[in-house]
This record gives sequence, C-alpha cells and structure tokens, in this order.
Amino acid sequence: MAAPGDPPRLRSYVASRVRLFGSGLLVGLLLGGLGMAGWTLYTGDARASEATVFALGALVFGFGLLGWSGSILAGNGIEAMQEHMGTRSDWTEKDSRRAMARLCGGGGGIMVGTSVVAALL
Amino acid sequence: MNWTQSLFRLVEPVVPPRFVVKRLLLLVPVLFGVASVVFAILHLAPGDPAIVIAGQRASTEQLEQIRQELGLRRPLWEQYLSFLWDAARFDFGQSYSISRGNSVRSVIADRLPITLELAIYGQAAGILLGIPLGIISAVKQDSLTDHVTRIGALTGISVPIFWSGPLLILLFSTYLDVFPTSGRIDSTLFLPDTWTLFGRELPLTGMITVDTVLLGNTEAFLSAAHHLFLPALVIGVYSTALISRMMRSSMLEVIRQDYIRTARAKGQGAKITLMKHGFRNALIPVVTVIGIQFGTLLGGAVLTETVFGINGMGLTIVTAIGVSDYPVVQGTVLTFALLFTLVNLVVDVTYSYLDPRIQQ
Repeated sequence: MAAPGDPPRLRSYVASRVRLFGSGLLVGLLLGGLGMAGWTLYTGDARASEATVFALGALVFGFGLLGWSGSILAGNGIEAMQEHMGTRSDWTEKDSRRAMARLCGGGGGIMVGTSVVAALL
Repeated sequence: MNWTQSLFRLVEPVVPPRFVVKRLLLLVPVLFGVASVVFAILHLAPGDPAIVIAGQRASTEQLEQIRQELGLRRPLWEQYLSFLWDAARFDFGQSYSISRGNSVRSVIADRLPITLELAIYGQAAGILLGIPLGIISAVKQDSLTDHVTRIGALTGISVPIFWSGPLLILLFSTYLDVFPTSGRIDSTLFLPDTWTLFGRELPLTGMITVDTVLLGNTEAFLSAAHHLFLPALVIGVYSTALISRMMRSSMLEVIRQDYIRTARAKGQGAKITLMKHGFRNALIPVVTVIGIQFGTLLGGAVLTETVFGINGMGLTIVTAIGVSDYPVVQGTVLTFALLFTLVNLVVDVTYSYLDPRIQQ
C-alpha cells in the first residue's frame, strides 16, 4: 500500500517505462547520428548511407518489438516450462521484456537519429 | 440485451473475453514488428525496383521517373511510415513483375487458398495419424509397435521436404506412375469461376477440393484429390512424426498419474479411463505443438509448392524474391505472419479451454 507522500502509482509506472525506453532511445539517437555521419564520410553518398543505417535501425526496432511481444505472449509459459523440466536458468519474462523494450528504443533512436542527420546534411 | 452481450454470454463459460481481447491486442505489435523487419530487409537487400520494372536497358531518365513515381526519392522515414500505413490497410500496391499491373492483394487472394488447402490437408493427416499412433505407442510402451512407430517418427522428423518430395515423385510418379508429378487438376478439366446456390451465383473458394464439391463435379474432385495426395503426404509426414512423439510422451506422463490409478482401482475399464481421463489432459501440450506446427506447415509449403509446381503462396514468394518483386514479397510475408499469429491465438484459446489455469 502506498504511504502518504509516495508518488502516485500511475506516475511511477509510466516513469519507469519511459526511463527504460528512453535510455535505449538516447543511445540509438547517438548511434544513428554518428553512424549516418560516419557512413556518409566513408562512402560519400548520403542517400545510400541513410537507406542503410535507417534500415538497420528498423531491423533492430522490429526485432525488439517482436521480442517484447513474444516475451509477453510466451514468457510465463517458458518460465513455467523451465521450472517443470528442472532446467531453470536466470532467464525471466520480466528481464526479457525489459531488454527488448530497451532494444526497441535503441532501434527507434537509430531511425530518428539517421533521419535528423540526413535532413541536416 | 444486444447482440454483443449475447455473444459474450455465449463464449464466457468457455474462455473469458478479456483473455481473447488481450491476445488480440498483442497481435498489433507482432505485426508491426514483422512489418518493420520486412521493410528493413528489403531496403538492405541489393537490387533496384526501378530496374526490375523498366528492365536493364532503360535510360537513366526513365529509371529516375519510375523512382519518383514509386516514392523512392522521399526520405526513408516517410517511406517507412507510408509502408506501415499501407500495410495496416493491407495495401501493398501493384506487383512489379510476377503479375504485373495487378494488385498484390489480388495476387494473395488468388494464391492463399491454394496454400491453405495444402496446409490443412497436411495438418489433418498429421492429426489423424499422429494422435492415434502416439496413444498406441504409449499404451504399448517398449513393444515392437512402439519401436516401429519411434523409428518411423524419427525418420519423418529427420527427412527434409526438399529430399522426400523429389524421392516420392521419383517412386510414385516416374516408376510406378500412380500419382501425377505436378499441378492441381487434370489439364483436360476446366472449372467455372462461380457456383450457384438457390439461383444466386457465388464466387468459388479457390480451394480446389472444396470447389469441386460445391460444383458437384465428382470427376474433378477425384482428380484434385489425386493431385493433392503426394504434396499433402510430404507436408504431413513431418507433422505426423512430431505429433505422435509429443502425444506418446504426454500420454505416458498422464497414465502414471494418481487419478488414473484411482480410476482403475475403482473398477473403471482401461480404455474408458484412458480416453475419458487421460486423453484430454494429455492433449494439452499436443495442442500447442499442433498450432505451432501449422505455422511450420505454411513455411513448408514454400518447399512443397516449389517441388510439386503448385502455384500457391510458397512458390509466389520464391519467385517474387528471385525477380525482386518487393511489393509481393512484403504482402506474402506479412500474410504468413498474420496467419501464424492468428493460428497461435486459436491455440491459446483452445489451450485455455482445455486447462482453465492458463487464463490466470
């Protein structure tokens, strides 16, 4: 039960998720921007560089999103199966979901970072 | 009481609507993720759609004009959002090459029933053969029947379709001349585009065995079944093998439970105990395998259709990749993903019906 003075439940719920996704997004933004600039310097073709780096970002984003939804869909089942079969590892649905959310943010960040740098170049 | 309330009241005792709605909502990020991956892979793959459309000899101006028309000169984020919006409406534009000028939606509508028919027959063969074989193996554990079934199942799991397909064609079509090598029906038989019900003309389903029944054409039905037998067998062997192994191990676990022993101790017959108490509980993990297996069968259709020359979704996707027909590749891949997720939804619902604890 929340004690008086504690932040509201909804706020902490949203804040933790925004922090998780946001940290990935920031790293992605940096990677996307640097990747786009570096690739353009290397190849000399901004359009081709944008296509490659943006597509890589979309790949990471899509993979993260699939992994996130897959963790929710099958995570508990996998945990139960591991326990049932006595092959329990440290893998948990919650950890997987968090990792995939961060990856998803990273992919999104790469896409945004690439687009911003491409618009500036 | 309106119709939605009536519907929920009807299904509620079986599966809570909240469970189904949650599962349906999760389909959205799955399909969104698949769409993103497809977009990324097609943009990372070599090849220029403008050259695919105009040909190698096209001038630079012509190529540039096509690129402008296709929107390939727009920023990538704009192309990505536009692709997602089109994918959400299931609109992938027109085919560049394999069915030039026709919409991808119509290509999929033509070919999806063919693949579904093949997968359904393969799955039906797997269920009808695999479940009884698994039960027999479990009941007669370590007998000759069990050993033979085990060897058969392991062979079925191990042999790939691209090897078993040509081998069966060689045996049954070339040497024995019992089954045709390719096609869906005898070339001398022609089917109309519509069938009549109470004086109204309705379109056919595209599944040839169903259509021939709807048309009441026995000769065409026998020919279609004759053509479908080998591909369905090839695709069904793996399924049969996997289901029988799963059913065996699940049944063995169930028949050792205390409640089975109690039922037997109270004087209930072995067959009744097995079928009444054992079968339903043993079926729970098998249902999951059947669901996942259906998705694998759709993937297996790619190989089966290529080997048997059946113009379904599998052969379409192979051809589209070969000629860089990107809209068709995008459409077919997303259709496969949608089917796979829908099948998994049905599995989840069935699973929660068989074991209500899953809903928790």
